[in-house]
Amino acid sequence: MALPVPHPEQLEDPLEVQFQQEPITHPDAQPGGRRWARRAMAGERWIARVLRTGAVMSGGMFVASLALELLPRDESVHVAIDLLRKGAASMLLVTPVARLAMAGTLLGLRGEWRYTAIAAGVLALLALAVGAGFQA
Amino acid sequence: MASGVLAGGLGALLGIGGGIVLVPVLVLGFGIPLEQAVPASLMCVVANSCAAAASYVENKLSDLRLGLTLELATVMGAIVGGLVAAFVAEAMVAVVFGLFTLFVSLQMLLLRTPLQEPTSTASYVPTNYPLGISGSFVAGGLSALLGVGGGPLKVPLMSYGMRVPFKVASATSNLMVGVTGAASVAAYAWRGHLNLGLVAPLVVGVLAGASVGSRLMPKVPTAVLKKLFAAVLLLVAGQMLWKGGEGLWPSVWR
Repeated sequence: MALPVPHPEQLEDPLEVQFQQEPITHPDAQPGGRRWARRAMAGERWIARVLRTGAVMSGGMFVASLALELLPRDESVHVAIDLLRKGAASMLLVTPVARLAMAGTLLGLRGEWRYTAIAAGVLALLALAVGAGFQA
Repeated sequence: MASGVLAGGLGALLGIGGGIVLVPVLVLGFGIPLEQAVPASLMCVVANSCAAAASYVENKLSDLRLGLTLELATVMGAIVGGLVAAFVAEAMVAVVFGLFTLFVSLQMLLLRTPLQEPTSTASYVPTNYPLGISGSFVAGGLSALLGVGGGPLKVPLMSYGMRVPFKVASATSNLMVGVTGAASVAAYAWRGHLNLGLVAPLVVGVLAGASVGSRLMPKVPTAVLKKLFAAVLLLVAGQMLWKGGEGLWPSVWR
């Protein structure tokens, strides 16, 4: 006599099904963890965005200044080149410092205040080093 | 611009900033005075760091926490280095640093590396923080004393001393050199040594090179990166021994 063929759903491991479900005893544990991870990911994406924006904008301004050099030399062209280069250099120098401040703030928002204090310390020491004329 | 592309690519791949390549090229190849070549190359280090680190942070290759911790030690070391510079024989420090980099480069060239290393910040935990912090302090001091970037010292320190995967060490070093480089450039700019006409084509080249290098780095095998890094370290060792020898030779001759 042929045995009845079980339905595929009946073959599913009940333990695996239970594992895939969210825990009932700690309802906030997993979604909270996920929210935390999502926030961490978003923070890193923001830092990357700051760095990329700084690099691209500064690079674009330097390229524009090089393109202006092809034009016939004129007082206004000369001023524009100078302004573009100063702006590009300033943007490039501010970008890593903004990244440092942002990393400290984001880690602080995640509750890692130790790193916020470290970032603030680095910024303060850098200001001291620049003020004193040291090369860090 | 071409030398900028080369420096940017190499700097992004190895986390050394690229100044090692640019300063000799500008001084020896283009006859630019050293006091203009150094700030221009530092500006390129900042550009390289911004362009490459954006991709590394997004791909979780840079360790933000480790970077912040070591950055603090580096800046403290740089300040102390600047304070004691007047009392230390620069040539002697250059020789010691040259011998040390020679040792590290030979070790990297001769030692076999494990085939598989974790390639993101999620899959390892840095160890030996006291060594890393004290090493970064020394790196900062040497950077102030000798004008070398911290990358050639910090990457082996993180990789061998703190058991950080080589690619993560390189990406984290890339992130760190941007901040210290920006502070150095600011100090030079205040003294009026920054030539923006020289910087413009170099930065454009570096940004292009760093963009390519940061895309290549995750795909290049770690063993290849280590060998390339060792070759660059040999170059640094040569530069440092030359610099130290130049300073020490007259006193030995007499």
